Amino acid sequence: MVAYILKRVAGSIAILLLIMVVTFLLMNAIPGSPFLTEKSTPEQIALAEAKYGLDKPLYVQLWNYIKNYCVGDLGTSLKMQEGTPVKDIIFHQGKFALSIKLGACALVIAVLIGIPLGCIAAYYRGSWIDGLLRVLTTVGVAVPTFVLAALLLVVFSVNLNWFPTLSGSLPDAKSYVLPVISLSFYYTCYIAKLMRTSMLDAIHQDYIRTAKAKGVKTHILVLKHALRNSLIPVITYLGPVLAGIITGSFVVESTFSIPGLGKYFVQCVLSRDYPVIMATTVVLSALVIFMMLIVDITYKLVDPRITLTAKEE
Amino acid sequence: MKEPFAKLSPFHVNPDSILETFGLKEDDFASASGEEKESMVEMHKSISYWQDALRRFRANTVSMVALFVFLLCLVFAFIGPMLIPYDYSEQYRSSQKLGPMEYSKNEETIRALSKNVEAFYATGLRPGSLTALSKGNYVISYKGKTYAFTLEKALDKSVIVMQSDAEDPLRLVKESNIKDGVYTDYTAIAYTETAAEDATVLKLRTYVFPHVFGTDSQGRDIMARTMYGARVSIIIGVVAALIVLVIGSLYGAISGLCGGPVDFVMMRIVELIYSIPEVLIVLLLQVVLKDPLQAWFQSGTSGFVKAMSDLGAGIVSIFITFAVLYWVTMARIIRGQVLQLKKQEYVTAATALGASNTRIIAKHLLPNCIGPLVITTCLQIPSAIFLESFLSFLGLGVSAPMASLGSLCSDALETITLYPYRLVFPAVILTIIVLTLNLVGDGLRDALDPRLKK
Repeated sequence: MVAYILKRVAGSIAILLLIMVVTFLLMNAIPGSPFLTEKSTPEQIALAEAKYGLDKPLYVQLWNYIKNYCVGDLGTSLKMQEGTPVKDIIFHQGKFALSIKLGACALVIAVLIGIPLGCIAAYYRGSWIDGLLRVLTTVGVAVPTFVLAALLLVVFSVNLNWFPTLSGSLPDAKSYVLPVISLSFYYTCYIAKLMRTSMLDAIHQDYIRTAKAKGVKTHILVLKHALRNSLIPVITYLGPVLAGIITGSFVVESTFSIPGLGKYFVQCVLSRDYPVIMATTVVLSALVIFMMLIVDITYKLVDPRITLTAKEE
Repeated sequence: MKEPFAKLSPFHVNPDSILETFGLKEDDFASASGEEKESMVEMHKSISYWQDALRRFRANTVSMVALFVFLLCLVFAFIGPMLIPYDYSEQYRSSQKLGPMEYSKNEETIRALSKNVEAFYATGLRPGSLTALSKGNYVISYKGKTYAFTLEKALDKSVIVMQSDAEDPLRLVKESNIKDGVYTDYTAIAYTETAAEDATVLKLRTYVFPHVFGTDSQGRDIMARTMYGARVSIIIGVVAALIVLVIGSLYGAISGLCGGPVDFVMMRIVELIYSIPEVLIVLLLQVVLKDPLQAWFQSGTSGFVKAMSDLGAGIVSIFITFAVLYWVTMARIIRGQVLQLKKQEYVTAATALGASNTRIIAKHLLPNCIGPLVITTCLQIPSAIFLESFLSFLGLGVSAPMASLGSLCSDALETITLYPYRLVFPAVILTIIVLTLNLVGDGLRDALDPRLKK
């Protein structure tokens, strides 16, 4: 087990390094200089580039990034908030915390609502409840996040005035409602669909029939015997869910005017603030990769049938 | 003789009594004649894999309905623009910010007039920033006759009315002279039947076409834009899915067929790409590719470059993104399928009989991979449409005056509190397209995947 975890951690670090290299190359592939404006003279640009070390050869710059990241130095912003350490922008101005809070809420909601919905649909298979849930979840995975966010905003904030239009820094519980619903809706539906299929699979297994023959009550059968085994596909899906929630946060944070990391990432890509792009990409990727790691380890812990060392087919 | 013998052994049974008990005749155990044998053979028409799949797909009501609705969307997107007189990029200056089925004041006047005249041409319905007809030669074709005339000065706020049975069929009416659909005063236009070479063709109309979905702030017809956007979105989805199909299936097939160290290395690469949070890279790619693509468009002269530059940098970079990052799922599925098939007995048998690799691939592997290929490609289309709309929503996909469903939604969001319907139409079309494609894909999976056959 320890060997497996170590191997996975090493792999994750390798992927992060790769992402750094790719991001660095992509950033530098954008033609022109980040300091290029209509007013600036070539001398000014050269001066500014020298100040931030952009005149050095690419491999030196890249090596500096990697060296500094290892000791936790994320550099300073070039444009968005000139001179401010990127670490402060991301972690101390509440951007990271805000996105994490939003994402965590969405993830929890998606799991807590999606799984029971899937169980209910499987339990009442063929009845009108199942039919209703199937229609809901099928439509749910076809509605883009930004459409849902916009519709919720118009109906509940503008017309009914139940929730604030600008969620801002999410000061109260009320301001969480609409962003979290928009962010989690797709995944709630997807998890419910996945759960239904996997629950139906589990119900048809022999051990369930045996338990039934021995007189176990139906609800215990579903909740105790079938649920445990049908959770595995859902757990494996949680990694992609997190990645998707971060993606969705770009849209949701723009729509509800939340000053989170997602919104900031889009802005800094458009304004070509190299250190901020690099830091945001690495932080967000690290988050996703870390979640994938945890999911993989949990997955192997939950399902004893999966041997840790065996080669995958 | 029989009786005592039966008593002797309890196991001895009289054959006659058995026949009697079960109601059988003596000749029931005779061997069957040729005729009888033939009547026992049931002949079924052999059904091919595709016929079987088609039959199963047809039996699936939900998928059939979804397919029908998707075909309607295709008609809307590809045939619709030919049926309406508005173009996605034309701006109608007098018809800005109209609601669904609303007419501007100007259109209202002409609409009332249109009910009382045969045909007309209204300068007020012209698109573009100039609503006046500049001076010059014009030609009108109506009911097989040609009317050519010259305007000595620019024509503004006027309607050319056609009254083909009158002595002066072409009549120039000032808009101020129209009251409740009737024109009170007009000047006849002198015409000849031969058109000058530089004459501009004017198309007469008999009715004012409504702005079914309304117009936007620049006076562009939203239905025309939605049709165009749907077309762009569907094309992006299909092309991206085809790119994924080609790259993913080739990569997966090579990896699966070669096996060993080649497979190991290729699959590590797939895992690497798989674990990169792709949207972060996609956003960067979109920004990075914009300028190089523009430069490429300007430098190249070949047909391919021209076609690409018509699409625009936004769309081409979406294709590149798909080619770089999104083929991994397809590659994994195909590799798995190939690995599984390689071990099948009939493939071993074919190898033992001396079949070449080409023959095995063409006759055994490919036909068995078609099911997963079709299903994955079909389900890739909605996900590509999703990604494109997401990027356009963030302002990175297609750029104005081009439109996609995502960019239309994004434009609509700016004015959503005042004009919510501008979001509703493209959003509903987008949702319907994605929903129906998902359902068709599910139906195809049920129809093509024999493992689900029960």
